Amino acid sequence: MDKDFAARRRRDLIIAAVLAAIAALTPLFVKDVVVQNILILTLMYAGLSQSWNILSGYCGQISLGHALYFGLGAYTTELLFTKFGVLPWFGMLAGGVVSALIAMGLGYPFFRLRGHYFVIATIVIAEIGLLLFHNWEWAGAAMGITIPIRGDSWLKFQFLRTKLPYFYFALALCCLAWFVTWWLENSKWGFWWRAVKDNPDAAESLGVDVFNSKMGAAAVSAFLVAVGGSFYAQFVSYIDPESVMGFQFSLLMALPAVLGGIGTLWGPVLGAAILIPLTELTRFKLGGSGRGVDLIVYGTLIVLISLALPRGLLSLFSRPKKTGAAR
Amino acid sequence: MTAQAIIQSLASGLLMGLLYGLIAVGLALIFGLMDVTNFAHGEFLMIAMYLSFFLFAFFAIDPLLSAPLVAAALFVFGAVIYLLIVRFAMRAKANAGMVQIFTTFGLAIVMRGLAQFFFTPDYRSIPQSWLGGKTISIAGIFLPEPQLVGALVSIAAFAGLYVFIHRTDFGRAIEATREDPGAVALVGIDKNRVFAFGWGLGAALVGLAGAIMASFFYIYPDVGASFALIAYVTVALGGFGSVFGAFAGGIIVGLVEATTALVLPPSLKSVGIYAVYLLVVFIRPRGLFGSI
Amino acid sequence: MTITRRDVLLGATATAALVPLAARAQTSEVVIGVIYPFSGGSAQQGVDAQKAYETALEVINKDTDFDLPLAKGEGLPGLGGAKIRLVFADHQADPQKGRAEAERLITQEKVCAIIGTYQSAVAVTVSQICERYQVPFVSADNSSPSLHRRGLKYYFRAAPHDEMYSAAMFDFFDAMKKKGTKIETLSLFHEDTIFGTDSGNAQAKIAGERAYKIVTDIKYRANSPSLSAEVQQLKSANADVLMPSSYTTDGILLVKTMAELGYKPNAIVAQDAGFSEKALYDAVGDKLEGVISRGTFSLDLAQKRPMVGKINEMFKTRSGKDFNDLTSRQFMGLIILADAISRAKSTDGEKIRDALAATDIPGEQTIMPWKRVKFDEMGQNNDADPVLLQYVGGKFVTIFPPQAAIAEAIWPMK
Repeated sequence: MDKDFAARRRRDLIIAAVLAAIAALTPLFVKDVVVQNILILTLMYAGLSQSWNILSGYCGQISLGHALYFGLGAYTTELLFTKFGVLPWFGMLAGGVVSALIAMGLGYPFFRLRGHYFVIATIVIAEIGLLLFHNWEWAGAAMGITIPIRGDSWLKFQFLRTKLPYFYFALALCCLAWFVTWWLENSKWGFWWRAVKDNPDAAESLGVDVFNSKMGAAAVSAFLVAVGGSFYAQFVSYIDPESVMGFQFSLLMALPAVLGGIGTLWGPVLGAAILIPLTELTRFKLGGSGRGVDLIVYGTLIVLISLALPRGLLSLFSRPKKTGAAR
Repeated sequence: MTAQAIIQSLASGLLMGLLYGLIAVGLALIFGLMDVTNFAHGEFLMIAMYLSFFLFAFFAIDPLLSAPLVAAALFVFGAVIYLLIVRFAMRAKANAGMVQIFTTFGLAIVMRGLAQFFFTPDYRSIPQSWLGGKTISIAGIFLPEPQLVGALVSIAAFAGLYVFIHRTDFGRAIEATREDPGAVALVGIDKNRVFAFGWGLGAALVGLAGAIMASFFYIYPDVGASFALIAYVTVALGGFGSVFGAFAGGIIVGLVEATTALVLPPSLKSVGIYAVYLLVVFIRPRGLFGSI
Repeated sequence: MTITRRDVLLGATATAALVPLAARAQTSEVVIGVIYPFSGGSAQQGVDAQKAYETALEVINKDTDFDLPLAKGEGLPGLGGAKIRLVFADHQADPQKGRAEAERLITQEKVCAIIGTYQSAVAVTVSQICERYQVPFVSADNSSPSLHRRGLKYYFRAAPHDEMYSAAMFDFFDAMKKKGTKIETLSLFHEDTIFGTDSGNAQAKIAGERAYKIVTDIKYRANSPSLSAEVQQLKSANADVLMPSSYTTDGILLVKTMAELGYKPNAIVAQDAGFSEKALYDAVGDKLEGVISRGTFSLDLAQKRPMVGKINEMFKTRSGKDFNDLTSRQFMGLIILADAISRAKSTDGEKIRDALAATDIPGEQTIMPWKRVKFDEMGQNNDADPVLLQYVGGKFVTIFPPQAAIAEAIWPMK
């Protein structure tokens, strides 16, 4: 069994490296900025969903409030940049650290909650964050923050027309989130999380440090999501509370993982690769009608996939042969 | 701030809170029965409001009169949604919680899209009704009639529901199904029929709320969104699985909202509701009266 | 792309061969992007905007005899009678989506200009993208004053912004005070979005300058389930004038709640938005006899300029509504943009920009009560005079400024 597991991990790593290499080469063939835009969003949401998956999929703590960390990342970066001239690269790290600390601070009371009480608590805390930013004059309140654009610069991570730097950053973020997940799967934490998810009481009695392992998952997850938020702020070059901390981001982080396969290594990537292009294309083709057809198509797909494939789209690819460690 | 202003705020908050309770109780019932959270609950409310509106616009039936009709229609709608969709979501062998959340969430998006498609996104409202715009004034405290009737309907609905669950055979069947779905099958209760009935009843209750609200609120495809989160918080605050909890939760939410607006800028009044929810579950992780 | 271009060339050659003296079309079609919310909470505004733009399109592309730029004759004379085609895109009130749609329209649909957007937050990102691609952006109906102050070369706004609107309100108050009306205290009531915040800030600033006292300044959450607490505070403050900046939904709830809590203000002077929407008056019009709203458009103008009435009828057959403050600005925005494209004799972004910057249309050749359309170096038209309208007997009459007014203001409101 251990040998199978090790072999699967090696295979996953090779597949990931090949996919990443192929992805890195796509800009050679894809020159259209609209397609590039879709690719960037897909990679970003794949990365975000992968990070969300660490806490909610592996550790089983379903959060629908990750927009809080996304927004904190975006705001920390841009407040530091516009108010104090701190370069976004440092702002990105700062945003990640702030989010991780807040995630751990919230973890103390939150991890006592279970099931729907926990889910609603996460929604509610993100809403509080949204309302506070909406009323915080110094941070721009409803007006938001416009990032001053002075021209292409790696130092300030801003580019006028070319999308390639954003593309490679999103790819790097996605790979990082994937690799962290891959690495954690086989770590002490990874085993603990699986135990916590299966049966927290039994895990505790077996000596698993349930609480600290949840805290670790929350911190890693929040850190990566905040980096994604910083990236998004630089990419869009304008943020306001609604557009970085709204509930829709919490959902958009969860959906790819759920549709692809929650708590799996490849689910978020697969889910994002299908969901994000689909939402963009339905809006392009049907959105201008004003009749809500895009919503009907989008919603129906979510219902059908959830019902038909409860383990996510990934279950279509899984081999009938049992691979021991794969749950 | 005068004492009268404070009393007025509390009175308004109480009336609104009873209405929140009525909106939320269907959600609490469905959850208590089968452990499913209906993320399309706000959209059920939206459908009910549209039904009231169209009954008024085409047949000149006052929303108060049409309330039983709307509730009946929503009963059928809820039961059908259960039989066509939710039933299959509950069969999921893996990730049952996520499947239920996202099935009902997808349903919410579809319902919003359909409403936009068939009803257009225009804002509707019922300009003249028996209750709309009327108000009772007692010693300078104003009690708007629509909300007042809403509060009375809410109290009656909770009382009726209590009697129904504890005093009728079908109510006991619901309780029994909730406690042990496997065992009730042995005594000849069809689980699906009970669940379909539960969904119908839950939808009928939110239908009642929608009909009352139609006489004083605006109606458009996204109207449910403003109430959905409040309904979830109300149910969780009262405690999942407890119908009485939803009642108490509604009142608390209404009063907290009103008092927060007295001390904080009104744009932050929801923060008060959310903070109270967090405070309650930190102290009592299963809400005030929750059993699950 | 190559196919259509060849088709066009073939067509042009064939026409040229048959009718040697006919003007040769260099471009048979000019594509303009229109970005609005077509789904979500403000989808209705997108749908109404679509009707307004289609009305403008009819005026431009067909031969009509209005005294508007481009009305006479078909299409754009400067481009050999080329027709305008509109491509509509949905931004769902999300700045990121607005940005992506703008980029798609520019690079894939090859639009030569973009017009939009209703929400100011989306106008921020759409105008940034337009700037980067050097494609003009006409901000038809955004009223946030911060928009034109960002040093953008390709940004144009023909309509007034909220500071101009608010100044007109205070001019009106000053005039009323001279006549002996008591106006000393004000209650501000605005939503927590860019629109509401900007409007509230502008009003607070001018009130301070002109020594009016603001007794309450209430910022509320847009689309709240209840406004009882807010109305309660307005009622206890009981200012001489209530100044709401609210969209349709909150406007309806505000008026209903006021009636329910027995609050009857002396006067309401609204920052347009919901208070120019038919849906709001359908719902609570009976409680709003005498409400005053700012605007840029007034159907009263039809008495002086008959074409205003005729164009309004064209719009009404499409939408079932009269022009309001938003739809009239959208209509006029497209006319102004198309006029510039025609004068530029090109679909090149920079040339259209220069033509827009050189725009000088006298007020009589618009459907608005404006002096003229001429942009300053920031792309703002400062000659777009706002008007104040009062809702009397089921319709709006112009009460301010005096040169546009057809009636005296009724004060206090009923």
